[in-house]
Amino acid sequence: MISGHIARRARLWGRACIFSASAVFAVPALAQETGSYTPMKPVEGVGMPTAGGLGFQQQFSPLGEYGLWIHNGILMPIITVITLFVLALLVWVVVRYNRRANPVASRTSHNTAIEVIWTILPVFILLGIAIPSIDLIAKQYKPAPKSALTIKVTGNQWFWTYGYPDNGDFEVVSTMLNIPGQPVVNPGTREVGSEPWDGPSHLEVDNRLVVPVGEPIRLQITAADVIHSFAVPSLWFKLDAVPGRINEKVLFVEKPGVYYGQCSELCGAKHGYMPIALEALPRDKYNQWVLTHAGAVIDGQKAPAEPAAAEPAVETVPAEATEAAATEAVS
Amino acid sequence: MATTADQFQGHVSDHGHGHDHLHEHPGFFARWFMSTNHKDIGTMYLIFAIFAGIIGGAFSGMMRVELAEPGIQYLDMFAKWFGAENPDFTTTLHTWNVLITAHGLIMVFFMVMPAIIGGFGNWFVPIMIGAPDMAFPRMNNISFWLTVAGFVSLMCSAFVPGGTGLGAGTGWTVYAPLSTYGSPGPAVDFGIFALHLAGAGSIMGAINFITTIFNMRAPGMTLHKMPLFVWSVLVTAFLLLLSLPVLAAAITMLLTDRNFGTTFFDPAGGGDPVLYQHLFWFFGHPEVYIMILPGFGIISQIISTFSKKPVFGYLGMAYAMVAIGVVGFIVWAHHMYATGLSVNTKMYFTAATMVIAVPTGVKIFSWIATMWGGSLEFKSPMVWAIGFIFLFTVGGVTGVVLANGGIDDNLHDTYYVVAHFHYVLSLGAVTALFAGFYYWFPKMSGKMHSEFLALLHFAIFFVGVNMIFFPMHFLGMQGMPRRYPDYPEAFTYWNHIATIGYMVMAASLVVWFVNIAYAFLAGRKAGDNYWGEGATTLEWTLTSPPPFHQFETLPVIDEAAHH
Amino acid sequence: MASRNLPAPDEARRRNRKVGLIGLAMALGMLGMGFAAVPLYRIFCQVTGYGGTTQRVDSATASAVQAVGRTMSIRFDANVERDMPWQFKPLQTTHSIKVGQRDLALFWAKNTSDKVVTGTASFNVEPEQAAKYFNKIQCFCFTSQTLQPGEAVKMPVLYYVDPAILGDEDNKDVEQITLSYTFHVTATKDPVAVAKGLDHGEVGS
Repeated sequence: MISGHIARRARLWGRACIFSASAVFAVPALAQETGSYTPMKPVEGVGMPTAGGLGFQQQFSPLGEYGLWIHNGILMPIITVITLFVLALLVWVVVRYNRRANPVASRTSHNTAIEVIWTILPVFILLGIAIPSIDLIAKQYKPAPKSALTIKVTGNQWFWTYGYPDNGDFEVVSTMLNIPGQPVVNPGTREVGSEPWDGPSHLEVDNRLVVPVGEPIRLQITAADVIHSFAVPSLWFKLDAVPGRINEKVLFVEKPGVYYGQCSELCGAKHGYMPIALEALPRDKYNQWVLTHAGAVIDGQKAPAEPAAAEPAVETVPAEATEAAATEAVS
Repeated sequence: MATTADQFQGHVSDHGHGHDHLHEHPGFFARWFMSTNHKDIGTMYLIFAIFAGIIGGAFSGMMRVELAEPGIQYLDMFAKWFGAENPDFTTTLHTWNVLITAHGLIMVFFMVMPAIIGGFGNWFVPIMIGAPDMAFPRMNNISFWLTVAGFVSLMCSAFVPGGTGLGAGTGWTVYAPLSTYGSPGPAVDFGIFALHLAGAGSIMGAINFITTIFNMRAPGMTLHKMPLFVWSVLVTAFLLLLSLPVLAAAITMLLTDRNFGTTFFDPAGGGDPVLYQHLFWFFGHPEVYIMILPGFGIISQIISTFSKKPVFGYLGMAYAMVAIGVVGFIVWAHHMYATGLSVNTKMYFTAATMVIAVPTGVKIFSWIATMWGGSLEFKSPMVWAIGFIFLFTVGGVTGVVLANGGIDDNLHDTYYVVAHFHYVLSLGAVTALFAGFYYWFPKMSGKMHSEFLALLHFAIFFVGVNMIFFPMHFLGMQGMPRRYPDYPEAFTYWNHIATIGYMVMAASLVVWFVNIAYAFLAGRKAGDNYWGEGATTLEWTLTSPPPFHQFETLPVIDEAAHH
Repeated sequence: MASRNLPAPDEARRRNRKVGLIGLAMALGMLGMGFAAVPLYRIFCQVTGYGGTTQRVDSATASAVQAVGRTMSIRFDANVERDMPWQFKPLQTTHSIKVGQRDLALFWAKNTSDKVVTGTASFNVEPEQAAKYFNKIQCFCFTSQTLQPGEAVKMPVLYYVDPAILGDEDNKDVEQITLSYTFHVTATKDPVAVAKGLDHGEVGS
């Protein structure tokens, strides 16, 4: 079950290398190889929660940075000022208008001017919030270009499967690694920490969702049983996996790295144990990873030498399309 | 407030003393089980709410102790408490979902609503409008016992199979398909039945309040002279009347999907699980106002009383509640931002949701303006009320953050949401409940509580709840999803603080119980108007406790009473 | 005592009953609305394409539509629910078609169980604002499908994208539309109990 180190060239990538946002497309020569992949070691505190953290996780997508800016630059200052303003008013009335300081109460019960002001002023504040907020929503819904890589995410009780229809339609099954000292969550899966690249417990999985960095990815999300929710906080991404339909949203990862998330819609007993680990790789490394799978295709080109069946890099479901094409069962 | 005791003509508080009709002294069983007296029913609602609140609060304690450290420590023990023998790990984890579900349902349907509407509403709405009782006293009794029956049904559900373990583990939202083919076994059916019963009781209660307020006001008590608490209950009753039947329809369809092969919410038969969420939240969003609006009313009475001033901007306050109620019906899908709504839908609900901040702001500023220029007396209800204003403001501003569909993409279903709704409900509605309790307890019981203990209760409670819920903002922004029994190392620190906060909060409840015991055992006798000149609504013209039947001759409210 | 008395008890009771019945009627009305929401929501989705609901047209309407110059990429996606013992795949990942041009896409399904399984497909398109322009003339999803043990079928969808999409501001950035299906079990039978020669509904090739 231990994944991804068959063709291991003991080459652990430092994730500090930063690539330009332009995609590196596979050169034809690449397709001659059988692919190689060693999971990336996550950087402590990046793409994951930090101990005692007070704010949002660092963001690694353009919309995440925009959303974070709207929160930290607009919403947070406004709500802090409003809260402190209300607190200051309360302190003031308590100090100034207590029984000793003001023995005789006024009978004022109206002041049209001030009532109009405290109705109109919040409207303007809310407009100031709404304009960037609506803009953010519009950007989040901008559809992916035709050429965008499509990845299929399926929520199951209680694991995720990731399909790669543009790369030969193989499928990766992703389950949480067991936690040492705790009851076994997923029988047959190894314990977290048994490989050098393992990230935090509760978040690390056996087979990660591997995506290319620096290009828009069309994520299509569905569920096989009940509703789940696919969420990665450091990429500002959350979308429900609803059985019977797909939901679609663009994912764009700016830097190579490992980004963790957790199922975010109550889906039954092990809801807490179906994390998401997303590994973003430069295009050439992504292609290398793709080629470790049986039936892998890059840019419509099949890898000439498929990996031997004895050494599947990760659990795969072979594409059925060829079999299907040959089947003539219907009139 | 709108009417004042000295403007109100005729001394009515002596009524009841001289009346010795036989029906006024029913036996214990007849008085408490077949009661048609609004004050007795109100008392029963309050006692029931305290009882249910202890159970719901104990469940949250079980959750907090489990969350004190990462890993699973106590859940298998809790699973055994519910009757699971040698629970496997899945069954153990199922128990967590049962706890969160039961905590939510109990606190919403069997604690806050019975206490604030059934308890204080029953007690003081008829008195404040000068009515002898509710319009339909026997239906009032049925409402109460339906609520109790609903609670019993919910408790039963915890001990019967619910899929992966005993009890309903669907969350209080009961989303399909987890609640349909995701949870075989009778537990979810019992849970749904509990909501049917409690919902029917609440709808009857709503009809009763609406009829009472429309038809039974004393001469001169026009709608625009009604105390704001009565206004708040009127708006709440309309919200109940219009939203609960939609929930009833939705959960009835769940029930038939579960048991009779229909496919209202099952894609296999052309249904849509997202439609269930639309129906649930069409009820669910008004429901949060149902819980908080009567609290607004209570706070308005208290602020006015202890400022010795009429409420500032009375009409604005009343119609702000109406506005909140109306707008509350057109913002529901902000609970569904992650379900894959279309871009225009999401933009609309973002904009509509933010609108609610306007009437809410009017209320906050009007309370402060009521205190402005007043002669403030910091008796326990006033301290609780000022605490409410601050805590509700904190909960309100995080609501503005969550209203933004694009920001909610990160915060949806995280602890930030848990923090938000506990600030407005646990720290808002419950703080208002305690404020109302200390305001009216001597009126209801005839015994004064200890002001020292009431203030001590507040101080410890305030520290405790803020320790529980403020760190949840941090956890949510860091990405901790809600409804999780276990979490990565990184979330340990703030979860641990929250658990300590729970213990502090629990200690404050001990002070509260001691205070109640003190009042009954050693409390001074409460006078008619123990809060003094600022307390001007009709309940202060009656004895403490009021006579079994009040206002057999209706009070008349002076035409010039207001302003 | 300047107090006035209650209205006559009968009069008061009558007024209360009236208001109470109005309240009850409102509650029952909302209850009815709750149930009515199911068909109303379905109709709303069918008319507006809300939730990614595709449009259904007859071939007469379809034949009046002229293809225009711009091409659009259509992606095909197939899923089965957890308990569905079928393999289900699109036979093409994407098609590039002219807007307005009719296109036939094929899906393939195989019953891998030893039972006779009847399935129904739910469907939607993404991005969902394109749904009201996505017209199906013929589709295996219009009826349920029954597969014998081990049987495999090819299932067609005949569709076109309404050229009106080109004038829609909400769709100006849409370059690829995904048509997704999910098969659900609606009935399972033991093969012995079922007579031979079942038809396959509208399945054909």
